[in-house]
Amino acid sequence: MKKIEAIIQPFKLDEVKDALIKIGVEGMTVSEVRGHGRQKGHTEVYRGHEYKIDLLPKVKLEMVVRDALTTQVIETLNTAARTGKIGDGKIFVSTIEEVIRIRNGDRGESAL
Amino acid sequence: MEPRLSFPAKISRLRERMKDPEWNRYGKILLMGKLTGVVLILLAAVVMNPDLIGFSSFAADPQLKGNDIVNPLNTVWTLIAAFLVFGMQVGFTMLEAGFCRSRETVNVLMECVVDTCLCGLLFYAWGFAFMFSHGNGFIGMNWFFLNGAPHTYETSGVAFLAFWLFQFAFADTCSTITSGAMIGRTGWIGDLIYSFFVSGFIYPIIGHWAWGPDGFLATMGSAGNFFPSLGMGFHDFAGSTVVHTIGGFIALAGSIVLGPRLGRRFKRDGGGPMMPHDLTIACSGGLLLWFGWYGFNPGSTLSAMDFEGIGRVAANTTLAACAAGLSAMFVAYFMSKKWDMSFTVNGFLAGLVAITCPCYWVSPGGSIILGAVAGIIVVYGVELLEYLRIDDPIGAVPVHGICGIWGTLSLGLFASGQFGATGQFGADNSAPLKGLFYGGGFQVLEAQIIGSLIITVSTFVVAMIVMKVVNAFGLLRISTEGENYGLDLHEHGISAYPEYVISAMGRPGGMSGGDTHAAMAKTPVGGKLGESH
Repeated sequence: MKKIEAIIQPFKLDEVKDALIKIGVEGMTVSEVRGHGRQKGHTEVYRGHEYKIDLLPKVKLEMVVRDALTTQVIETLNTAARTGKIGDGKIFVSTIEEVIRIRNGDRGESAL
Repeated sequence: MEPRLSFPAKISRLRERMKDPEWNRYGKILLMGKLTGVVLILLAAVVMNPDLIGFSSFAADPQLKGNDIVNPLNTVWTLIAAFLVFGMQVGFTMLEAGFCRSRETVNVLMECVVDTCLCGLLFYAWGFAFMFSHGNGFIGMNWFFLNGAPHTYETSGVAFLAFWLFQFAFADTCSTITSGAMIGRTGWIGDLIYSFFVSGFIYPIIGHWAWGPDGFLATMGSAGNFFPSLGMGFHDFAGSTVVHTIGGFIALAGSIVLGPRLGRRFKRDGGGPMMPHDLTIACSGGLLLWFGWYGFNPGSTLSAMDFEGIGRVAANTTLAACAAGLSAMFVAYFMSKKWDMSFTVNGFLAGLVAITCPCYWVSPGGSIILGAVAGIIVVYGVELLEYLRIDDPIGAVPVHGICGIWGTLSLGLFASGQFGATGQFGADNSAPLKGLFYGGGFQVLEAQIIGSLIITVSTFVVAMIVMKVVNAFGLLRISTEGENYGLDLHEHGISAYPEYVISAMGRPGGMSGGDTHAAMAKTPVGGKLGESH
């Protein structure tokens, strides 16, 4: 099982979510987050003063999927979340040791 | 025998006694009695010798004529109404800001403020001249830059500039209505350009037809004018058509040409309206609009002397809004099984828009019925726009455009046949308007249909042309990047809630002004962020 975390542009959320559901992702957790990457935010001007918006609003999706689905999820994220411009975000993949469904104690892939 | 008390001792004894409730009561009764006596003596003195305190000389002035009292009264009344109508700007600002997403709030605020500034200058330069001066049936041709104006406007007895101010507040309302349907995707330059056309040309010129002293719809049906065989002019007391339908249909043209906001999916495509960001502000704004309407409608008498008219209009306005709010709430409930706040607010606003035209000529009962119908229309109007895939974030088109038409036509149905025209010295009910439901036949209704149709179609066609032209220059809609980044940051450099959105996490102190502020832009935060951005 893999955990896939994707940090994407907030306005891409609906598109990405729909695309993921379409390929069979069963569940996901979405959080509104703020952060920065290499570009380190934007400069804006307020009352003639420049100020930095260093932590930009982003959306983080987390989902744990069967190994077999991993490549497909990454591909889907790559296409659906991409605008081709700076700030599109990142995908992180890690291995998950165990999944337990609290309701009935199911373990492993059947708990996904 | 008790010794004679000194005066200070008497006072302190009195103070002691006043602490006793019984003494205190008798003391107060005695004091009131003495005061009444003093007042009566003064009154008697004034009656016997009126010059004693000086104010009688004013009333006795042989130079003072009727108009010297009537004109100031009418002017003060019109100004009070103008201030109330201006207050509607606050209502619009709050309503629009509340119903939009937080990312486009600064843009909405700016739009409402700048519209007002722009409209004021344009209405001074030529807007008022186009609309309210004499010229021909289509356009006024005098009083540019308010030059050559008389002391009072026409026969109203209202000071000319007070009338100007009142009408400026109306023009401002119309132009702000327009912005409501174009929230969230209009570029700032495009905003300025279309506002210039709305406040400077579309509203004043088309408004002249119905409200100008010689507008062809105002004089319609009389000999030698437009459609003499009809025998009835177009009536729009406070502007269901002139202000609201014009505003609403420019808004419709704008939102059609702009297209929906990015990411807006419609109900038939499995989506729905984008979530508003502050319903407290939106609802309060709606109620402020209702309050401002007490200037909008009753003020349109321009005459404090027509005191019955003012009272009737104010009461009718209230009843229509109440009925419409409730009917919209129930219709929305039958549709969604929820008591929908946003539809209820849109509902009472729809009732206010509808009663704006007929408010002077209908009865309280008629107001309730026509208001309730407006509340139903507005909910289905919102659904219709949704079906047509037109993105109108606050419902400006159903509320102002569609219910403006309903209100205008409703006069032809509900005019009670008791009331004629308002005037400088009071009401003139010699030629009352009588609608279909009161046995007056179709005459008023026909005049209303003709007027409403001509104004609605002309407005929509002209507005479509203006919007298309501005759009053809690429100025109307903001770039996709700008819209994704957020209209507020892209166009105005700041979000409406910078504390929460930008700096709350990074900087506990938030964004302060002045030196701290300048330093913030340059100082690396947390040793990580330099100037390389």
